[in-house]
Amino acid sequence: MTPFDSNRRALLAGLADVLIPSGDGMPSASEAGVAGRWLDEVLKLRPDFGPPLSAVLDGVGGDEPAAAVARLRTDDPAGFGVLAEVVAGGYFLNPKVRKAIGYPGQQPVPVQPEEPPDYEQDGLIASVIARGRIYRPTPGRQRD
Amino acid sequence: MPDVLIVGAGASGAVAAKRLAEEGFDVVCLEQGAWPDYSKARAPYPDFELTSGRDWGWDPNARQMPADYPVDDSESDITALMWNGVGGGTVVFAAHWQRNLPSDFRVRSLDGVADDWPFAYEDLEPFYVRAERDWGVSGLAGDTAFPSGDGPPMLPVPLGRMGRRVAKAHNDLGWHWWPGPNAIATERYGRLNPCTQRATCLWGCSEGAKASVDRTYWPVAVERGVTLLTGARVKRLLLGTDGLVTGALYVDREGKQHEQRAGATILACNGIGTPRVLLLSAGKGHPGGLANSSGLVGKRLMMHPFGTVVGLFDEGLDSWQGPWGQHIHSLEFYETDASRGFVRGAKWGLQPTGGPLSMTHSYPWGEENAIWGPTFHSQLRKRLGRSAMWGIIAEDLPEESNRVVLDPVKKDDSGIPAARIQYRMSENSRRLMAFHQERAKESLEAAGAYETVIAPFIRATGWHLLGTAMMGTDPSRSVVDQWGRAHDVPNLYIFDGSTWPTSAGMNPTATIAAVALRGVDHLIAERRSARVST
Repeated sequence: MTPFDSNRRALLAGLADVLIPSGDGMPSASEAGVAGRWLDEVLKLRPDFGPPLSAVLDGVGGDEPAAAVARLRTDDPAGFGVLAEVVAGGYFLNPKVRKAIGYPGQQPVPVQPEEPPDYEQDGLIASVIARGRIYRPTPGRQRD
Repeated sequence: MPDVLIVGAGASGAVAAKRLAEEGFDVVCLEQGAWPDYSKARAPYPDFELTSGRDWGWDPNARQMPADYPVDDSESDITALMWNGVGGGTVVFAAHWQRNLPSDFRVRSLDGVADDWPFAYEDLEPFYVRAERDWGVSGLAGDTAFPSGDGPPMLPVPLGRMGRRVAKAHNDLGWHWWPGPNAIATERYGRLNPCTQRATCLWGCSEGAKASVDRTYWPVAVERGVTLLTGARVKRLLLGTDGLVTGALYVDREGKQHEQRAGATILACNGIGTPRVLLLSAGKGHPGGLANSSGLVGKRLMMHPFGTVVGLFDEGLDSWQGPWGQHIHSLEFYETDASRGFVRGAKWGLQPTGGPLSMTHSYPWGEENAIWGPTFHSQLRKRLGRSAMWGIIAEDLPEESNRVVLDPVKKDDSGIPAARIQYRMSENSRRLMAFHQERAKESLEAAGAYETVIAPFIRATGWHLLGTAMMGTDPSRSVVDQWGRAHDVPNLYIFDGSTWPTSAGMNPTATIAAVALRGVDHLIAERRSARVST
């Protein structure tokens, strides 16, 4: 795998900020570290992203980031998919970003028996029952 | 020599193995994959969304685990999805536990198309009830879309905020809904823990709450003496001079070949794997494949075209949490109404939409709604936690041109010819899906969605692999009888979804389990007096 040196990280930062610019009080992708610490973290978790990400960066040439992203989306959807997953994946690993968007992760929320159960509240299920059965019976049998 | 050989450790193989062991049969199961590694179920960790697609991927061609065999889908509108390992598809299924309806068994009689099943809903109903208790299913008896009768043993998962909203809307519209039936525990039940609503069912349940058969059936079966051999890939079935099957030739992970003999053999390899094994077992006297005098092995492949409609709401719905699984289901438009321009129907299941990384994907959100660029943050806020989606399982009708064949070129890593699928979506399926997507959109709008998205069609939705070794009463027009026994080979059985004459518009695991249970009960009674191949 081609190492992600500072030049390549700078290139990635440029592309990443086209995908996730700053705004609405949120940092851009590069400000959140997707070409720095979080790139390392993403590649540790998903080493399979390394080679295709390298190929994407190799293909940028001298293009401006916005033009490079636009071309990638049209000409190389798979490569764009890897770039997007690396950038957004790294962005959402950043705990500050997670906090800012109000996402604590997939939390355990044990099923608590309610009294009455929520399907019985406000006459919800009573209304379905009142409408009666709707299936087509087996020929020769009656609907009950 | 064991009494029974089972090929495949998924849902139907598990049901058969446990039942046979309970009755004192000596059973061996050959499974090409391994036990699932739940250390890779990362729901409690920040990298969950980033790693789950790799470690719990559904597409064998993309996943390329050692146990996976290639399935060439270049001539198919839909990609076949599966899990090759102990637990089979239940390791990564959404656990929607849907019985088929009475009309699903009488498609020819009621709608004039395809075929009736050789038994009726009423014949299968006691086996549904037993299977629901064996598996650990939650739900609520009395669903008005079904005949009355006993329901599952546990109370349903909560409707949650999104479920209550949509349920109320359906009441306003006069449309059916019911608390979702799921193979998910809502209390401690046997080996299952209660669900913690992490919404990660599709990527290996880290909580041990989803009733995948690697957690429920197989440990019990093994404790009762079943020999479960993993990394054992069947190359072909072996046939005796008396026309009975004597067992299977299999290849282990080191590439060594072994013979496993048994008095009877059950195939439980899914709608791709089962016809593949039968076609691989062609020989003198049956050049077109074993048990294939009808010519139907591999034909009539059905995979359920799948649709998704998402709604965006102006309040928090906790939509990255919950069972996934389904909060509620609707069968309002399930039954045929010829005025719609198509026959048959679809089932809808209301589901979470996932965490932030899922909000950036082109499915279900659509390339035209791509989140990237200046609107990224506002779009993310709109979607994350404030969306709900209907998943639509559409019935596809059997056509002999939709089929599984052996790949003339590709092989798996044991050198065994791979599978190739040829499948085209019919005009009936396209019309059916378009109709249901529009109604599902109306449902979410009635529930208060200020914006809806009909997901683009994607190929990677073939979770349900059905129909490729059809059951029936006429040996010239079916592969197995109503008990799953091959017409041509009286000690060969097929218990997976291959035997379905029609696909219904339901998630199939409940019916696969009930049909397997009915079949194995019959096998047990029959084998006690049957001749055994020597």
